[in-house]
Order: sequence, then structure tokens, then C-alpha cells
Amino acid sequence: MNFYRLSDSIEQSFVEQLQKHQNIVHKVCRLYTNNKDAHNDLFQEITIQLWRAYPKFRGDSKFSTWMYRVGLNTAITLYRKKKRRIQTREFNAVEFKIKAEPYDDTEDEQIKLMYTAIRQLNDIEKALVFLYLEDKDYREISETLGITEVNARVKMNRVKKKLRTIINP
Amino acid sequence: MMDELELLKKDWKQNDDFKVFSNSEIYKMLHKKSSSIVKILFYISIAELLFWIGISFIPYFSSEEFQEQMELMYGSDIVLTTLNIFSYVVIALFIFLLFRAYKAISVTDNAKKLMKDILHTRKVIKWYVIYNLVMAFTALSISLFHAFHDNPELSAQIEQFNTTQLFIFTGTIIVFIVAFVCIIWLFYALIYGLLLKRLKRNYNELKRLEF
Repeated sequence: MNFYRLSDSIEQSFVEQLQKHQNIVHKVCRLYTNNKDAHNDLFQEITIQLWRAYPKFRGDSKFSTWMYRVGLNTAITLYRKKKRRIQTREFNAVEFKIKAEPYDDTEDEQIKLMYTAIRQLNDIEKALVFLYLEDKDYREISETLGITEVNARVKMNRVKKKLRTIINP
Repeated sequence: MMDELELLKKDWKQNDDFKVFSNSEIYKMLHKKSSSIVKILFYISIAELLFWIGISFIPYFSSEEFQEQMELMYGSDIVLTTLNIFSYVVIALFIFLLFRAYKAISVTDNAKKLMKDILHTRKVIKWYVIYNLVMAFTALSISLFHAFHDNPELSAQIEQFNTTQLFIFTGTIIVFIVAFVCIIWLFYALIYGLLLKRLKRNYNELKRLEF
């Protein structure tokens, strides 16, 4: 097998895996961007970073687990927001198509409020909420962010409390 | 009533009707250019290295007369020759340190380490700029000293200055040097300040969690 064919097959396997798990990247983008263009920009940057880091990816962790780390790192640290001034209201309408039960107005309203509250958090707090929503345990959260498990737990509780305070003032 | 956060989690998991990118769309993205801050930082450091190396070479591109004068000065003054050799060693050292700092940056590290490595890279460049400003100041002072000391016409002229003239003369030189240092520093603070503001804030947030 020549080198080019080998690199082609590596690329193909990467693209297939990313295509399959692309929702993880989309969810990171949803949390960290304000509009569709920025969403796609960040998606592209995360894809580039994933592909660049792919040679370092060893099969010992799941591809999806590895994606969380690279995705969040790109969103929090590497990505440069382009200067587009879009109102939060526009963002809520475009990106968060709320899918609550149609008959329950209160639930619908609450979820809307929660998403608006999340928008007010800082980058690190958003990362914590994201990992919580994705059912990650404290070990993984602490390893992803580079803080201790105890501190991850303490901070998570604070963020949850903060969210509850925002929606129930 | 269901807890708000549980409600949110339920919605979060259901709410995933994103645009699905096809294999060929993802394939195209892989070959697009990254616009990450590490890349921009890298270009800025290269530009800075070239800028300062360029400045040290300016004399060699100027008039032959000036070149001869420089050679005379460098040839006769052991301090200037040493400074010159020293500056090349430092440039080599900084290129090595920068290269090492960039190699250490990895998107697969944890968030805190990644941020720390990027800030470390910035520190290397910062020290390089400070070093250059100090060197520029030192070289300028030594050159001025030589110019006045070794040039009989100029030193004769200065000796004839009255107090006011001498004061204005010294003042102009000092203002010129201070303005030069300030402009470089402002330019520097602006570029990195804007580029790394968010990263620094996030890094401090993570660091604060550890206490």
C-alpha cells in the first residue's frame, strides 16, 4: 500500500467518525455562538483542530470522548469570535427551536428561561453546564478542564445554583 | 414539579435537529485554513523576529559611508562587537524557545494546560521584545557616545553649546528614545491585549477554581 492510499484511508475513517458524531460539535457550537454563521465557523474550526490532532488520537479512548475535549478547547481557547453584533433575541429564535411538550406552557417557558440563563454564563461555566447536560462524570469533567474533581464538583454546584437563581429570582 | 435542570437536560437531548453535514462537506472543511489564535500568535512572533532582525541589519543596507563608519566603530570597540555577537546568540536562543513553546501547545491537553502553554508562548515573545528594547536603548546610547566622542566636529560643536542649547539637545534625545520605546510597547500591548483577552480571562477563572 503506498503512502497516499494510506493517508486517504486515514482521512476517510476520520471523516466517517466525525460525520457520525457531529452532534457533539454542533452542541458545542450552539452553546458558544450567537448565530448560524458563527455556528458554522466554529464547527469548521473544531473540525480542523480535530483533524490536526487526529494523529495523536489513540484508540484507548472513544472517538466521541476525545471530541468533547478538542471541541471545548477550540471553543474556549482557540476560536476567535468574528465581530458580528447579533442580538440575543435573534439567537434564541433562530438556534434554539424549543421542543417542549406543546400543551405545557410553563415547561416551555422554563426551558426558554434556562437557555437564556446559560447565555449569561462565562465560558468556563458554559463548559461545566455542557458536560453536565452530556452526562459526563466528575472525573471526566476534571480531566477535560484541568481542575481537581473536588473543585469541579464545587464549581458545578455553584453554576447550578446560579442558573436556578437566574430563573427564580 | 420536575427540577428545572432535569427539564433542561431532557430538552437538550431531544433538541438536536442540527443541519447534518455530509461526508463531502466535512472533507472540504478539513482542508480549509484554521483561524485559531495559536496560528495568529505564530505569525505575529515570526513578524516580530523578522522586524527586530531587520532593524539590526538596517545599517548594512544604508550608505557606504555609514557602513565604513560602522565597521570602524565595531572594529575598534570591543563592547559593540561583543554586543553584536551576543545579539545573534540571543536571536538563536529565542527562536529555539519559541519553537519549543509552540511544539508544547496541544489541543488534546486539558483546557487549563492548553491555556497555560499559549500564555507561556506569549511570555517568550514578551521577553524578546523587552530584550530588544533594552538592547536598542543600550546600543543607541553607546553609538551616541561614540558619535560625540570620536567625531571632532560634533564634539567641538557640543562644547560650544550654551546651557539652554545643551538642555534642548539632551531633552530631544531623551524624548526621542522614550517615544520610541512607548510606541513599540503600546503596539505590543494592543496586539496581545486584544488577541488574548478572552483566553486570559478564562485561564484566570480556571486558576481561581483551584483555591
